[in-house]
Amino acid sequence: MKAIEIKNLIFTYMGEEKPALEIDDFYVNEGESILLTGRSGSGKSTLINCINGIIPHVISGELKGSVRLMGEEVREMKLPDIARTVGTLLQDPERQVMNYNIVDEIAFGPENLKFSRDEMERRINRAISVVGLESFIERETTKLSGGELQRVALASVIAMEPKIMILDEPTSNIDPEGTEQIFRFIQDNRENMTQIIVEHKVERALPFVDRVVVVNDGKIILNVSKEHLMRDVEVLLDAGIEIPEEYIYAKQLGLDTVDPEVIREKIREKGLNLSRRVRRNDGETVLSSHLDVDVEGRKIVSTDLNLKKGQVYCIMGKNGAGKTTLIKGLMDFLNKKQFSVSSSLNIEGEDLSGKDYVLRGRKIAYLPQSFDLMLVSKSVESEVYYSAKHRKIPGFREIGDELIGMFSLDDKRMTDPLMLSTGQRRRVCMAAALASSAHIMLMDEPTSGQDFLNKKILGEEIRKLCARGFTFLIVTHDSRFAYRYGDYIGIMDNGRIIHEGEPDHIFRFSSEYGVIAPSDYVLRAEEKEVVS
Amino acid sequence: MYSLLDTAISWLLFVFGVSIPFYLILGAIGISGFREITSYEKYDTFYYNLNASIKILLSVVIVLIATFAIWWIGAIITFGLLASYVTLKNGWRKMYLTGFLILSIIIGTVWGYAPYEPLGIVSMALHTPVSSFTTVWTWPPYFSILGYEPHLTLQSLYYSFQISFRFTAAVVASLLLVMTNTPAQIIKTLSRFRIPDPVIFSLVVAMKTVPAVFESFDTSIKISLMRGYGGNKPKFLRPFVILAAAVSCIVPTIVHLLRGAKDIGISADTRAFRAYPSRSYFMQTPFKREDYIFSGILVIMVTATIIAIMMGFGRAIPYLT
Repeated sequence: MKAIEIKNLIFTYMGEEKPALEIDDFYVNEGESILLTGRSGSGKSTLINCINGIIPHVISGELKGSVRLMGEEVREMKLPDIARTVGTLLQDPERQVMNYNIVDEIAFGPENLKFSRDEMERRINRAISVVGLESFIERETTKLSGGELQRVALASVIAMEPKIMILDEPTSNIDPEGTEQIFRFIQDNRENMTQIIVEHKVERALPFVDRVVVVNDGKIILNVSKEHLMRDVEVLLDAGIEIPEEYIYAKQLGLDTVDPEVIREKIREKGLNLSRRVRRNDGETVLSSHLDVDVEGRKIVSTDLNLKKGQVYCIMGKNGAGKTTLIKGLMDFLNKKQFSVSSSLNIEGEDLSGKDYVLRGRKIAYLPQSFDLMLVSKSVESEVYYSAKHRKIPGFREIGDELIGMFSLDDKRMTDPLMLSTGQRRRVCMAAALASSAHIMLMDEPTSGQDFLNKKILGEEIRKLCARGFTFLIVTHDSRFAYRYGDYIGIMDNGRIIHEGEPDHIFRFSSEYGVIAPSDYVLRAEEKEVVS
Repeated sequence: MYSLLDTAISWLLFVFGVSIPFYLILGAIGISGFREITSYEKYDTFYYNLNASIKILLSVVIVLIATFAIWWIGAIITFGLLASYVTLKNGWRKMYLTGFLILSIIIGTVWGYAPYEPLGIVSMALHTPVSSFTTVWTWPPYFSILGYEPHLTLQSLYYSFQISFRFTAAVVASLLLVMTNTPAQIIKTLSRFRIPDPVIFSLVVAMKTVPAVFESFDTSIKISLMRGYGGNKPKFLRPFVILAAAVSCIVPTIVHLLRGAKDIGISADTRAFRAYPSRSYFMQTPFKREDYIFSGILVIMVTATIIAIMMGFGRAIPYLT
């Protein structure tokens, strides 16, 4: 039986002229697992909202054609009835978990459906067991790591016992360990439910799906079984989708496997030389610091950190390792009433140890994960001028104009930054942060939720700035990004940077700390270095 | 003739009334302090074991008492409840933070009412002839454009001070509810009171969002200052710089939160929210001994208020007697 059947679907958002989605014919069989991918804004979310009934029941617009779930027309079903059939796990667990206690959160759906207490208990216990929440069931949701919180969100959807499960970029905000647990669930439940996984990380999701569907500009441009994906690698590349490098080489070498280790051997046999980036770790030290952070007498961060001029230093590690606390501590952004912070900080020869974030801001720029929060001006131009203008730096217009040009924002100069796309907003924020005349930039998860092309643009911009003497400290879970654009990686565990070195060295053993090596590394690794 | 010094003092007084509550809120409590007094934290003392319905009832009773009884009953309740904050998790700190909030409400209310209150009304309320009023300051004539009375009297200040306790008691009781109950407990209770589900859901989203609002707002303001807003102004002016920066940080904070609110709505709708006119509840919250004890206290409070009003300590009769 077809779990989902779409025919002649055209959806146009209210106030828009161009349809956001146009699908002639698409179906998903019961028990099938689909990877739905495409660039940001390609129409993936619109498609899943048409399947889970959010369109047309919550989001209005002009809907033509038919979407059927288990044979029933979505338009004619009530939203709560759709919710019994389709479960949806969203990208950011912080934004979907609304209860303080884990059990309350899992019970939310069954309570809405007014099940008997016994039935609720059965569903809750099953959801806890399927996702493996037993070890922290008593903890408050506000104190869970991103990965743990995403598992709670997943359990709350499982408790609805849906026949179809949509996972909308379920791993974009969580660490590799949490990602592994989510994919393990997907793997273990492939038989029980139809799954649609929306992911930018094609490499991570591929082992768990049967079919790959690519959406571009509101249309399905590729719909192939996983086995035939290699044939269409160009289509994915043209659509700006991240392709595992081994797929490209497998096709080039005419191999029928995508195992990176097998491909690596073939590459060696053929004498192909894979490009390796030269890491820049020989600059003078521009930042040296030591940070201690305590909460209620418990030390949560105690570490040294040194940055060299022109370096991209990536901090990696599990959720809760202290990465964001480290960055906030360096910026003096931690709440002094909640955290006891002592730091020594020397930047470009100036001792800023006892100085607050206002003074540190002259030397360090900071881009938080929620970068929209820094967009306080009415136009891109005034946003970029903001810092230098307030600091009364002579020639602030010239500085700002140069950055606007560098970040390709000339045509958006007078646009309200909040009206721009995610990638454009991130570029405005970077330009605005750098206009402060700071030469060191701290970035917290800049690739989170960004598609391949945006990540590539970001990485290239960072490298360009490094060549001009800027230094970057980046907290990231994205191993591939760190491998491609980083010079140095620090592995953080329990509040300390316990290992640091060049990516090729760190990825030899990083999996012990929840940091999984990307296939780019595996393809280039010497035999003795290969991760197990 | 109104001297230059008098003009300066008048404007100083005006600025004092407008700015001190903000100064207290931003300087002494801080945005992170607000988050602390609007968030639930797990703990195990009397208030945490008390049923949410009793605390909602407490808020309602307190509003009624503060409205109908003489002002000092509202004041006693305010400070009594505030003192009981020490039993909360990090109780002294929560009492300190809420104490500043109460102080800012009192100053804000006094300065918001006293200069505008027609003396005739104050005279009726206090049962004191206007001729017996003590003038503490005379405003420049052009202050009447602001709606000010020509004279600021001791009685106007006193009357406004009394009015402030109608608000403070309700604030202390409401914060107590939010700090000692999870959103789920409040949903259940409100549902029992037959409050419609969409209204309850809005409150739950608000309870979930309010701490995040403070956190996002705090980050946005800090980034503005870090990026040079306020230039080289001295540190003692920081609360005012923060206040000015806060105005421009409202829009990005709201946009950020609205993006999150959309996801919360989708998360609830895709889990069958509003499938039926009512919901069932997995976790039961039966009435315990503490609830019966506190219900008794509420009954005593209401009875005592009725007796006080009958004895002449009601709002409709002279406050100063």
